[in-house]
Amino acid sequence: MELNAFIIFIAAIFTSNILLTNFLGMCSFLSVSREVESSLGLGLAVFFVLTFTTAINYLVYHFILIPLNIIFLQYIIFIIIIAAFVQLTEMVIERFSPVLYYTLGIFLPLITVNCAILGVSLFMVIRQYDFLQSVLFGAGSGIGWLLAILALAGIRQRVRYNFVPIGLQRAGLSLIITGLMALGFIGFSGIVVIQ
Amino acid sequence: MLISIVYTILIFSAISGILAFLLVIADLLFANYGECTININNKKELKVKGGSSLLDLLNENKIYLASACGGRGSCGFCKCNVISGGGPLLPTEKPFLNPEETKENMRLACQIKVKEDIKIKIPEDIFNVKKYKAEVKEIVDLTYDIKELTLKLIEPDSIDFKAGQYVQFVAPPYEKSKQAVSRAYSISSSPDNNDHIQLIIRLVPDGICTTYVFEYLKVGDKVDFTGPFGDFFIRDTKADMLFVAGGSGKAPIKSMVEYLFKRNSNRRMVYMFGARVRKDLYYVDYFKEFEKKLPDFTFVPVLSQPTEECEWKGKCGYIPPFFPEYIKDPSKTEAYLCGSPGMIAAVVKGLKENGVPEDKIYYDSFA
Amino acid sequence: MKETPRELKIHNNLKAGAVVTEGFLGDDDRRFHEIIQEDKTELIKLGISNQDLAKRMEYFTQQAFEYYDGPVVVDDKYKVEYRSFRGKIICPFAHPGVYRKGEITLINLENKIKVCWTPLNIHMIKEHCFFEGKGSKHRLDPVILVKALY
Repeated sequence: MELNAFIIFIAAIFTSNILLTNFLGMCSFLSVSREVESSLGLGLAVFFVLTFTTAINYLVYHFILIPLNIIFLQYIIFIIIIAAFVQLTEMVIERFSPVLYYTLGIFLPLITVNCAILGVSLFMVIRQYDFLQSVLFGAGSGIGWLLAILALAGIRQRVRYNFVPIGLQRAGLSLIITGLMALGFIGFSGIVVIQ
Repeated sequence: MLISIVYTILIFSAISGILAFLLVIADLLFANYGECTININNKKELKVKGGSSLLDLLNENKIYLASACGGRGSCGFCKCNVISGGGPLLPTEKPFLNPEETKENMRLACQIKVKEDIKIKIPEDIFNVKKYKAEVKEIVDLTYDIKELTLKLIEPDSIDFKAGQYVQFVAPPYEKSKQAVSRAYSISSSPDNNDHIQLIIRLVPDGICTTYVFEYLKVGDKVDFTGPFGDFFIRDTKADMLFVAGGSGKAPIKSMVEYLFKRNSNRRMVYMFGARVRKDLYYVDYFKEFEKKLPDFTFVPVLSQPTEECEWKGKCGYIPPFFPEYIKDPSKTEAYLCGSPGMIAAVVKGLKENGVPEDKIYYDSFA
Repeated sequence: MKETPRELKIHNNLKAGAVVTEGFLGDDDRRFHEIIQEDKTELIKLGISNQDLAKRMEYFTQQAFEYYDGPVVVDDKYKVEYRSFRGKIICPFAHPGVYRKGEITLINLENKIKVCWTPLNIHMIKEHCFFEGKGSKHRLDPVILVKALY
């Protein structure tokens, strides 16, 4: 693709936000966005995992899967690499910030099955990005996810003491808010097309 | 076709293998905290391999902090003062620490992971706590729901404790329990016998440890316990002593009275034992004997709900109303209480109403 | 339905032999949150909240406690007795905190209904709305409990 890698980076954050435009990575987004601090922690962890797994998956795809003609294994191989990398991230977090480790709890290993992570790697394959584009796409998607979860956490904190009907509490209202944010982001569509 | 399947599996395994290998290296790098030093009370230094909890590392070095939940972060017994090197306060510790304790840097030893050199302060008598292996020499039925165990020490073969302290007795996994549990029981034998201890244990309905003792433990079985623990012991003064106990609470009192008898103490002692009906009483004659053997000892059993068949001619009702009769000089009286929380609360109230100073009322905190 | 590791830990704690010998589930083979949900529905039908029920149980427990473990007749209608034991146990719901061991028996002198609970039951009803599984020794059926306590 002739798109400038930096354009892809900016687009991944704003106009093609992996969460608000493609609606990928919703489950931990909805659960952890109750507190701003843990949202920041999880968002940074997802950014870290996205950037490195996209890069590694690119290398594995182009230097192992394609030459050996086993492209059909890409789903399994990508997931294994993501799982291993998330394990590594857990070890790093446990070592350097035990408080964050306890706060995130089960959501840290759940990053493995966050569809945004696998989604970004598969997009990278489908859209045939080169290495630099892939890395910046991964990094941009990570920052976009981080921004979205921080935004939702902030809004939820603001709405906490307002009256909410029982049926809409927690997930109900969060989904409506996410939908409204996504509507806002549709305003960006058409500015840059990176599909 | 077949070749490509084999080929695929090989590549797949190779990639997984490489990843697993990289993770193992990462684990060694990150989870390896190297050698750390635990400085205790500025007197003792332990060189340990970092990465485990403070409680486990101390236990490995034969220093046993009290723990009722086995390090799961549920009981809060393993509090200790961490002067430096403990890392940030974890959310799992906060429920157990009040603001003063947090200011003094009290932490839960089972929740702190030792990753660097750490400096702690623990009470001196923790050094006396050891893990013991013993053999059940005798099991005696004292009442329908109370048994007395005699445990002969095997390794170490002697124990040094103060009359009134307790041990954490370990019930191993058995038919009705999937894992080992430990429960606190006061030592009922005198500290002068240091090659064995006796415990008085009352059956708790549905209790894991007491069900083991009552239905599965036999003479000759080997058991483990850790101890001695507790700040319930005799204060060495000349004040009058008032002992109040109920149920299995007689255990530490028996230890104390036997200890005082050996030293022929001439302190004025009154022992009030509360029970519901006659069949809850035990060791009645044994304590009545002390009235003759000690210079100034009075034994007062009190039944709160005697029935016709009890044929009880002694005191009836609850213990606090009898205090004015037996307390001569409240300001010079020390009270030693052991029993259920309800009894202790009511007795403390009664003692304060009779003028006994609150700091001279002692009781076991694990009740 | 898939359970998180935390729910699995709680379920194991509730089974026989973990915290108490008989366990809290009796011969009920539903998941604990199903038991809680059903009892919650029952409470809504009866028109009383679990907090109020726990408060009422605490009131009787306190009365018996102050009267030196009872038995004591409260409000001329209830006979309460408290058999307490030394030692404390943890809550099976895997959070910090220890609770006294004991058995509180209440007999409603008017309708002669007898119920029996422990301090841990009061906590489980107040914080977790858990009345124990059907067939458990200390199962406190909300319907019977309300009849006995009011």
